[in-house]
Amino acid sequence: MSSSFSGDETAPFFGFLGAAAALVFSCMGAAYGTAKSGVGVASMGVMRPELVMKSIVPVVMAGVLGIYGLIIAVIISTGINPKAKSYYLFDGYAHLSSGLACGLAGLSAGMAIGIVGDAGVRHPSFVFKIGMLEPMHSSQNSLLG
Amino acid sequence: MSGSVMLGESSSWSRALVKISPYTFSAIGIAVAIGVSVLGAAWGIYITGSSLIGAAIKAPRITSKNLISVIFCEAVAIYGVIVAIILQTKLESVPASQIYAPESLRAGYAIFASGIIVGFANLVCGLCVGIIGSSCALSDAQNSSLFVKILVIEIFGSALGLFGVIVGIIMSAQASWPAKPV
Repeated sequence: MSSSFSGDETAPFFGFLGAAAALVFSCMGAAYGTAKSGVGVASMGVMRPELVMKSIVPVVMAGVLGIYGLIIAVIISTGINPKAKSYYLFDGYAHLSSGLACGLAGLSAGMAIGIVGDAGVRHPSFVFKIGMLEPMHSSQNSLLG
Repeated sequence: MSGSVMLGESSSWSRALVKISPYTFSAIGIAVAIGVSVLGAAWGIYITGSSLIGAAIKAPRITSKNLISVIFCEAVAIYGVIVAIILQTKLESVPASQIYAPESLRAGYAIFASGIIVGFANLVCGLCVGIIGSSCALSDAQNSSLFVKILVIEIFGSALGLFGVIVGIIMSAQASWPAKPV
């Protein structure tokens, strides 16, 4: 067997699983945020149709979480290239943990956006204020996570 | 034991994983890609369909417009089918001596992870679109100017399935099996 390969052979398992975790968990958070605030917007819109377009902010914030997961998943997946650079178990575990960090932070941010967005849009007098506080909280959650 | 002169059996996880054929991982990945996507689509369709049919009793005008929510859920299943077909074309047969070569193992893991990504991203996307579609039908029954506005939220939701497909296809490009020895 030619030995042009160096590195650990099962390390890509953990690396690819890290990329999967990044995307799947962020999408779970984004889906929860979108669905929960969407239900709130629809319920509120029956009484006050003119406020619906202003209340789309939580939905957009939740959608951005999916994009964070996509970026990290693509960065991890293109970094697994044993032909260009040896890929040891260390690299595999590092990719797994970075994917889990991004994904689980995105999941929690998405759940927060959903709950706050749903409550916020149902109080028409507070829609504008809560819409501004939320993006700060959600981006802190996901970038520091 | 054949193949035990390999590098990298430095942890118990590796020793266990190295014994599993990459074709096992690939097959599970392809099955999850289509199976879990269709599960998500079906779940979304039943959530939105039951609200739609119930609301249409008092407001029959909403039925034809709100079928678009059902179509968004269905699209999620189609993404799963497309990616499963793409992944199964990435499978190649390698000679028996090469099945546990590092490159084969990596190809198997790539197909597995790609399938998991597409399956579960489509599952949550289908659920999300289903829940929003059901609120869309109910609010449309009350006030028909709301339909287009809530549809915008549904479009954000359906983008999540697309993210899964994009990453799944990028990752499946990593599935390169060892070349056959001449």
